[in-house]
Amino acid sequence: MTIVSEAVQYSREEIEKILHPLVREWFFSKFQDFSESQKFGVMNIHNKQNILISAPTGGGKTLTAFLSILNQLVSLSEKNKLEKKVYCIYVSPLKALNNDIHKNLIEPLEEINELAKSKGINLQKILVGLRTGDTTASEKAKMVKNPPHILITTPESLAIVLTTKKFVESFQDVEYCIIDEIHSLGNKRGSFLSLNVERLNSIAKTIPVKIGLSATIEPLEEVAKYLVGIAEDRKVKIAKVHSHKKLDLDVLIPTANLILENKPHIHMYRLIHDLVKEHKTTLIFTNTRSATERIVNYLKDKFPVDYTDENIAAHHSSLSKGHRFAIEENLRQGNLKVVVCSTSLELGIDIGYIDLVILLGSPKASSRALQRVGRAGHKLHETAKGRFIVLDRDDLIECSVIQKEMYEARIDKIHFPKNALDVLSQTIFGMAISQHWKLEDLLNLIRKSYCYQKLTKEDFLSVISYLSGEYDLEKDKVYAKIWYDKDTKEIGKRGKLARVLYLTNLGTIPEESFVTVKLQTGEKIGVIDESFMNRMHKGDVFVLGGSKYAYLYTKGMNLTVKPAPDRNPTIPSWFSETLPLSFDSALEISKFRKEMRKRFEKNLDKEKIKEFIRKYTYTSMEVSEEIYEYFYQQFHFSEIPDIDTITIEKYTDERDDKKYILVNSMYGRRVNDALSRALAYLMGAKGSAKRDVEVGISDRGFYLSSENTKIEKAFEQINSKNIEEILKQAIEKTDVLTKKFRHCATRGLMILRTYKGATKSIKKQQMKSHFLISSVKKISKEFPILKEAKREVLEDLMDIESTKLVLDWINSGKVKLSYNHVKLPSPFSLNLILQGHLDLMKIEDKQDFLQRMHKVYIQEIARRQDPEEFSYEEFLKDQER
Amino acid sequence: MKRENKSKDFTFISKTLFFPKKGILAIGDLHLGYDSMIKDQGINLLFNQLEETKKEIEIIIKRIKAIYRLKKIILLGDMKHHFHFQKQEVSDLRNFLRFLEKHVPKEDIILIRGNHDTFTLSDYKLNDFYIEGDIAFTHGEKDFLELYDKQIKTIVTSHVHPAVLICDKINIKREKYKCFLVGKYKKKQFIIVPSFFSITEGTEISEYKKGESYQQLIPKNKLKSFETYVVGRDDVYHFGKYGKLIG
Repeated sequence: MTIVSEAVQYSREEIEKILHPLVREWFFSKFQDFSESQKFGVMNIHNKQNILISAPTGGGKTLTAFLSILNQLVSLSEKNKLEKKVYCIYVSPLKALNNDIHKNLIEPLEEINELAKSKGINLQKILVGLRTGDTTASEKAKMVKNPPHILITTPESLAIVLTTKKFVESFQDVEYCIIDEIHSLGNKRGSFLSLNVERLNSIAKTIPVKIGLSATIEPLEEVAKYLVGIAEDRKVKIAKVHSHKKLDLDVLIPTANLILENKPHIHMYRLIHDLVKEHKTTLIFTNTRSATERIVNYLKDKFPVDYTDENIAAHHSSLSKGHRFAIEENLRQGNLKVVVCSTSLELGIDIGYIDLVILLGSPKASSRALQRVGRAGHKLHETAKGRFIVLDRDDLIECSVIQKEMYEARIDKIHFPKNALDVLSQTIFGMAISQHWKLEDLLNLIRKSYCYQKLTKEDFLSVISYLSGEYDLEKDKVYAKIWYDKDTKEIGKRGKLARVLYLTNLGTIPEESFVTVKLQTGEKIGVIDESFMNRMHKGDVFVLGGSKYAYLYTKGMNLTVKPAPDRNPTIPSWFSETLPLSFDSALEISKFRKEMRKRFEKNLDKEKIKEFIRKYTYTSMEVSEEIYEYFYQQFHFSEIPDIDTITIEKYTDERDDKKYILVNSMYGRRVNDALSRALAYLMGAKGSAKRDVEVGISDRGFYLSSENTKIEKAFEQINSKNIEEILKQAIEKTDVLTKKFRHCATRGLMILRTYKGATKSIKKQQMKSHFLISSVKKISKEFPILKEAKREVLEDLMDIESTKLVLDWINSGKVKLSYNHVKLPSPFSLNLILQGHLDLMKIEDKQDFLQRMHKVYIQEIARRQDPEEFSYEEFLKDQER
Repeated sequence: MKRENKSKDFTFISKTLFFPKKGILAIGDLHLGYDSMIKDQGINLLFNQLEETKKEIEIIIKRIKAIYRLKKIILLGDMKHHFHFQKQEVSDLRNFLRFLEKHVPKEDIILIRGNHDTFTLSDYKLNDFYIEGDIAFTHGEKDFLELYDKQIKTIVTSHVHPAVLICDKINIKREKYKCFLVGKYKKKQFIIVPSFFSITEGTEISEYKKGESYQQLIPKNKLKSFETYVVGRDDVYHFGKYGKLIG
């Protein structure tokens, strides 16, 4: 199978030798020496070796990839041997490619041309073509007639050109395929691209050389395999370029005491303002779009002299393209003092000089934190300055530990979805449009993709059955998408609309629409998923941003609420799909907890412990004081949960007699999601009577609330072998599954966003998906799109693999379960109730529930009439008479 | 429950209303063609509404015929879904009527016009209302003077797709069910039949809004004093007054 090896560095002299004199002269007119990634990359690419280059931002990766290719094209063009075909395809998941490409490709080309002219050398024109979702029809037509030598594109547009006959012809001699920003492809878009790259491989006469560019990422070996695919004859080298950027990090708290301070936000803005004043250009990362707007507005409001529309801006993905470009341009020009963004400026768009990055709230993973802070001091050898600002004690510990991981260069691991059947359905549909395929050849091609190497024949055939309409009840195959001949085992295009359908519906990014939540005063609180609003009723209470609100009314895309601090939430709140804490960082936090616990158990004095905190997490006096206090309270209240101990508190809320089980399991939300639902399901289903269980899930643990509180038994029943089966049953009736099913049905083209010229609103898609899923369930539990939705919930949304690991730890005794009955939740547990993402595990059958409630009703009536004498059994007998 | 219903001359059989003495079966909104509408929007719905509807009705008719005589079937309106004419729907409806004709003679199948029923059939008449003895049947969107004639004691409607949300005490579990609403208004006994259409459960009274599509005969507040009969898989359960139930 694919062989991975380490790349070697070449010397300046060796690289110089292979460069065309023009390219060499141009290069040294711009740079003094080759960068580290160039020393790894240029020669290897020149020698047609596949290579993955992992380097921190600012390492000159993009130019590394292009240099050898430019070199080859310049040589050809001087000899007048440049042909009318595509030599190189560059794929990037970024929408805003223009600037990067301009800097790293167009400019060098122009400058080399100038240089050639000045020397009287005649070069053929090297064409660069940009093909993205924004490319106009006339530009596309031009490109087909006159193919660019270097095609710049996105994963989606690549799929489109691979389905365009004329384009495909000019792809037969593609020599290079560059994939940029691989670290951002740990999702279905990555699966989608890997399949389409295999399509490209099958079209090209010789498999193009793959060049992968990535920010710091782990595990490199897997990413390298992702890049080149899986086959006997494939080899890939890895170049790991270390960062020489110094990190200057700190965790800041805006006020001396996070618990006592009523309005920490005011102090936070003050602190931000002070930091901004001390620096030239500051980039602020928040985790949500609404927070982005809120911060900009507040700063403008409170410091009108300092902030105007000219020097402060918000940047996030729901802004228009033009607006975003303008902000990026202003940043590069150095016109802006502050830019506040959600995640949109994380990736490698060139944004000019930034001297400070502020992280508001936890970035949830060390790799993301590094990526963000790396935006400061863009040049490779400068110092990257980053400041975490936290308002909450759990966040404080989290950020301090992440800071430790950053300083110690520990990176969390990327996860590529495997065997996604929805993406597979879409791709097979697209492939069938261009040509006839023998099933065997098709399966072989698909299995070369890293993401589908272990695809089973059964799953593959069930996708074929689905696409060819075999599940169609009416047996008339009205909705079949491909033609399939069972005798010859061949598939192909079906219907005149196939191409249009594919081109207008391809892609993997699910559409979401959001509703703004406001108070009666008009104050904006945040946003929620539109589909979530559709399920709400007047008077419902839900959690948003840690506070509780009651639903009043909606008007258009606005939802008006009032604060309801004393009421319990009445509905789940899975809507806020905030970033989950990485498993690796969560374990780091648990290790830190263990260290703290040991010190408290040894009765070490306060100053010693504080000193330990400062050294261990590289934090300040103030921070160590705050962290100390938090642990002190937890230790004296009950017990500090740590890497060897999960603490479980049982607690009854006296206000409404609601019973809670609070589980401090620091494994990140993806594991807690799986663990809590499986346990809830066992408790609900295996008790004396089936009852629904409310679950609240967070990064640090979870809570369960139900009539049955025997979680001990559920823990005994569950293990790494049966969890998958239990979870599959457990999620059967959840909203999460319905939501993911809608996404999968859209990707798998069961729901067409665009059909017969009309584009459907998400609201419409959502409304129908409830019904769609129940109709699918009736047909077959193995229906590929349903199976995929379950896989996505278990493997991508949740983390079943790490959950199995945790269960093995529990069953082997490596991790102990420690139970406590408490009158009040411990300090660590309090936020589990407040911040948990609520959902309800529907376990009791709807009909059984109706009968049970009817008995309750009858008892209630009878009690009112005659409280002493009534017996339900007699009542029933009476009924039968 | 059954005893109670007998004294009132009617009984609930699953989602339908039956008058044993008169042998009349009243069926709520069918909305045939809803499935093809979804499919037309580019959604691969693996569901055949016509066949499913026929299957369900077949079971109900069998249950009735085991005990009573079935003489007449009244479709309470909104038999098809689209407001405008749609070929597939009308053909589905014809198919459905042929199916009913196997159980009762054609002249004993009465069609009431609903707000969705914008079509004509050569062999069937669409009625605004239908009166048999002291019972009047109408869709429930429009009022007719004839309904309030002295001889009329009971008025049967559909149209609003009544449904009820049932919650447990601690508000953890909530489920929606189709229901019948029975109560007095303008000195007549009203029986509101739930939609037969199985794709959605229906609408709670609190969800009724102002506006044309929610127009109906009885004021919202009045409806809250109606008795609720909830449709379960095996039985129909009496849950008392609608208003009290919701709290």
